[in-house]
Amino acid sequence: MSGVNLSGIVKSYGAMQVVHGIDLTVAEKEFVVLVGPSGCGKSTTLRMIAGLEEITAGDLTIHDRRVNRIAPKDRDVAMVFQNYALYPHLNVADNMAFGLRIRKMPKNEIKTTIDDVAEILGLTEYLDRRPADLSGGQRQRVAMGRAIVRHPKVFLFDEPLSNLDAKLRTQMRAEIKRLHKRLGVTSVYVTHDQVEAMTLADRIVVMNNGAIEQIGTPMELFNNPSNTFVAGFLGSPPMNQMKGTLTDSGALVGDVEIKINGATGPHAGRNVIVGIRPEHVTLTAEEGTSPLPINLDLVEPLGSEALLHARHGEDNLVFKANTENDIDSLSGVNKVHIPAHLVKIFDADTGKALVLGD
Amino acid sequence: MRKLSLLAALLAGSAVTTPTFADGHLMIVDEPLELTIQMNHARYPIYEESWPVEQAARELTGIHLINDTVGANMRTDENTGRTEALNLMLASGNIPDIVGSSRIRDFVNQFGPEGAFVPLNDLIEEHAPNIAAYYAERPDIEAAVKAADGQMYYVPYLPDGKYGRAFWIRTDWLDALGLEMPETVDEYEAVLRAFKTQDPNGNGEADEVPFFARQWPELIRLVTLWDGRAHGSDTYHDFLVEDGQVTHGYIGEGYREGVKNLARWYSDGLIDAEIFTRGSSARDFLLSENLGGATHDWFASTGGYNSLSEKIDGFKWEAMLPPASPSGRRIEEHRRILVKPDGWAIGHTNENVVETVKYFDFFFTEEGRRLANFGVEGQHYEMVDGKPVFTEEFLAQGPVNRSLYQAGAQLQARGYFQDYDYEWQWTNEFAKAGIELYEQGDYLIPDFLGVAFTADEQQVYDRTWNSIRDYMLERQQSWILGNGDVEADWDDYLAQLDEMGLQELLAVMQSAYERQYGAK
Amino acid sequence: MTDEHTTAGGQSYEESVIEASEANRQRFDDGRWTRIFDHFKREWQIYAMLLPTIIWFLVFLYKPMYGLQIAFKDYSIFRGVAGSPWVGWEHFQTLFSNDQFIRAVKNTITISFYNLLFGFPAPIILALMFNEVMHATYKRTSQTIVYLPHFISSVIIAGIVITAFSPTAGIINTFIGWLGFEPVYFLTQPQWFRPIFVGTGIWQEAGFGSIVFLAAIAGVNPSLYESAVVDGANRWQMMWKITIPSILPTILIMLIIRIGNVMEVSFELVILLYQPSTYETADVVNTWVYRQGLQSGQYDLAAAAGLFNAVVAFVLVMTANTLSRRFSRTSLW
Repeated sequence: MSGVNLSGIVKSYGAMQVVHGIDLTVAEKEFVVLVGPSGCGKSTTLRMIAGLEEITAGDLTIHDRRVNRIAPKDRDVAMVFQNYALYPHLNVADNMAFGLRIRKMPKNEIKTTIDDVAEILGLTEYLDRRPADLSGGQRQRVAMGRAIVRHPKVFLFDEPLSNLDAKLRTQMRAEIKRLHKRLGVTSVYVTHDQVEAMTLADRIVVMNNGAIEQIGTPMELFNNPSNTFVAGFLGSPPMNQMKGTLTDSGALVGDVEIKINGATGPHAGRNVIVGIRPEHVTLTAEEGTSPLPINLDLVEPLGSEALLHARHGEDNLVFKANTENDIDSLSGVNKVHIPAHLVKIFDADTGKALVLGD
Repeated sequence: MRKLSLLAALLAGSAVTTPTFADGHLMIVDEPLELTIQMNHARYPIYEESWPVEQAARELTGIHLINDTVGANMRTDENTGRTEALNLMLASGNIPDIVGSSRIRDFVNQFGPEGAFVPLNDLIEEHAPNIAAYYAERPDIEAAVKAADGQMYYVPYLPDGKYGRAFWIRTDWLDALGLEMPETVDEYEAVLRAFKTQDPNGNGEADEVPFFARQWPELIRLVTLWDGRAHGSDTYHDFLVEDGQVTHGYIGEGYREGVKNLARWYSDGLIDAEIFTRGSSARDFLLSENLGGATHDWFASTGGYNSLSEKIDGFKWEAMLPPASPSGRRIEEHRRILVKPDGWAIGHTNENVVETVKYFDFFFTEEGRRLANFGVEGQHYEMVDGKPVFTEEFLAQGPVNRSLYQAGAQLQARGYFQDYDYEWQWTNEFAKAGIELYEQGDYLIPDFLGVAFTADEQQVYDRTWNSIRDYMLERQQSWILGNGDVEADWDDYLAQLDEMGLQELLAVMQSAYERQYGAK
Repeated sequence: MTDEHTTAGGQSYEESVIEASEANRQRFDDGRWTRIFDHFKREWQIYAMLLPTIIWFLVFLYKPMYGLQIAFKDYSIFRGVAGSPWVGWEHFQTLFSNDQFIRAVKNTITISFYNLLFGFPAPIILALMFNEVMHATYKRTSQTIVYLPHFISSVIIAGIVITAFSPTAGIINTFIGWLGFEPVYFLTQPQWFRPIFVGTGIWQEAGFGSIVFLAAIAGVNPSLYESAVVDGANRWQMMWKITIPSILPTILIMLIIRIGNVMEVSFELVILLYQPSTYETADVVNTWVYRQGLQSGQYDLAAAAGLFNAVVAFVLVMTANTLSRRFSRTSLW
């Protein structure tokens, strides 16, 4: 049984299509994160699942029931909004009870439920306060509490952490992860922050321009991006991409040949994008690496690591290197070494990952 | 300067056409003298130096009036006769040399003794032979003009002619229904009832409005048909004098009887159902829609509606004598009052008081009076057989009074003695016929010419009269509209009025009256 | 080099302000006036922006208060405010010994109460109704229609009312005639004055008054509604549980303002609609003052009545504001 299933979902506003036929299956109890740049259609997709936007075409099922025409309240979903959507005139307890009262749950049941959830979220002592008297993190918890008390089949999160500062965001991220483990409810989570996506998701759905670019576990996506978009979206900093040409033994980037694992021979002469993650290069030659001369522009120390901003030909590159407490030595770097087994090759025209034979 | 030379050119132009100008016997000053003036009247809100009459007066007297009117807010209240523009002028702290306005009497009589206006008794005696001569002939009018301290503070506009309003009736409707001209109140009621029920306009609907009025207090005036009294002067709801006693119409037995009958008329539909709200367009609307049957209104303007005969077949609209009351009295309560509270006064900062009084006197000379009444010879009238006669062109310019105002003649914010002949010359035949009808009997009664109060009396008046008047009107309307019964309420009504200080007020009025006009 | 630069330039604004005021405090520990002077010197632009408003208040609201003293004087326009003799509470005694004034006070309060009871909720209801209208053209058209009467002068409004309620030609009496009843001369019947007056007020102002509530509704966070939709609320529940509570502060503020105007029944409309026969229910303080005070030049008495009005209004506003602050945390000040 699937938790949520989207098949061929299309959304159009008048003549303008913004979501171009999405197929996605979210397994029960799975935590799926939709990630992508703003305007990619991820929020629209979530709102279609919630029932706040009409579905133009395609089928949406929740727990194997087609819900295209079902009112939001009958889809058994709960949603957490970016700006929390707390009722300013109600206190925390009443905010959480709102959905339950509308559903005419008996009063004593409401109270028990709310006390339980408040306990889970650490809100017990704030139940009498109004939203205006709470901190951002507390408001966020109330918003989640309001979703949790409903015991829905599906949680929908619409960028719930984007209004919080960086520190709180990290903290709440962990809290959401713990909650999901504890409650085990199917969740669809929308964010534009790839770190959130990486840390929270069972599976990540990368979206761009109203379509899905790739679906997979965080590590799958990180290690094997299926195209240059995904490669460039995930990772911090993202993967370096250099224009090059395949040769019999590797890839020619400018006048430097970079060794690649796999049989490049059949593709020799093909224009490609050569991808290497910033953290995968070494500063010293090792077994199976090829050197890449660079012009260093700037060294950004991050503590134990430093970012090297450099150029190779026309390509701007960023590499990550251990400082080993000697940041000054990094300013003399003039080449990096690229391990052959970690190089990714994408077709220059389509941007798709190229799978090389052995 | 440019303006002055333009004026000079204009003056030169008119001087050519008017030979009397050369004479100079009316000249007051050797050197031209400028005086400031505030002039307020609903029909000419500020003084215009370009009025031909003013230009002529300037030429004749050497006195040049300069407009200094503060605000043109001419709201005057029919009940109290206060003029907001005058209050505004006083509040501004600047009183021009001359202040001319409608409803000026109470104003100068209050603020004159306080020092705002120059007392005129001695000045008139010494420097205004023509005004003095008029007062010598009419001591009653001189008395009416005086303030409580015995001083005159303004020179009044003195209307001429006797008749103002009259009873009007659709005589073609009388003919259509085969009715005689009503002579008594019972016949009048029968006629009005016939108008209501017998469809004199012939449209098959009982939509006729037998009696209507532009001003609803004219309805109240009908209490004279039952020997009551309504308005003691041309100011609505005014006091009146009976046998030397100041009293009020609204506490008389005849009034009670009249209101009782008017309430009956009202409920029977003999009176316009909307009499209290229809307002000033009532006459125009009801007559031109062929609905109105009778009213009580001014001779001249009401007679003019006979021109509707072009539109309404057989339309005939004539004055009728006041119907006789049950006791046989025939009264026309409204008349042209002998002296109006309008006119002009001298502000306390005027440095040329003597010249100003002489200027006031100028309009009481033969030439000045003619100027104020008829305008400028050659422009507005010609002398025919030694009498001024309006030119055909002038009469053809539209409503004559309006044309006269535009020429600066017949300005009632100026103190002058009207010559009724000015009006008779263009009064329509129906009004003339009506006036001649009224002339055959003696229907007019004397008006209450008003009193001037001392400060203490004024306080009593201020404290009591407004409330009393409001209460009287409130009860009056309620009774007529059937929201109460005058017979049942009468004793309570009188008791309430006494409670509100009516007796005290009448006592004050009485003492003021005796001081002003001499004890009986 | 880099380090130095960071310390000097990277300092936040707040820090520099705090530092500066610290320094000031040390330097002029007892120089209070110097500090005030410095404050003005630093913030003069803000005070300059405030100045026109202050001047407006001084000229149009505070300076006229000087004239209030005529309520305690035997005022003569000629003698002026300063030159008129004091008479103490005489004018107030006159007022309160006058039955018509007492009646006018009662009428004012009664009419205001009806205005509050029926006229205050009307624009709110209208705004809520507009909020539920989805069809844009229909919404705009009907909004324009209900806003329109606001822009018509009271004189015209009164003319329309007089015509509509006319016993011979009025549309109301025509209907009554169709139903087989006798026509009613509404505007001369004391018992009809208040319904007609209050109704006219609602007709004239409810539409325009709804704008402020519509604006408040527009300011409600749309995700509140979305959240409620997901929670299963219907439109009626959303109106009661979200819209109305969300605009409640606006409603309360408007109510407090309205209560402050309790003594200010729109008197030009009363003047235009009332008759001596309806004084009983129609005569309000302002019309009484107009008739008794202004028309007959008794400015001192009028000022006394005006002062009385102002004091009553002041007390009412203070009370309403205090109650509102205590029970709903919403208040004008």
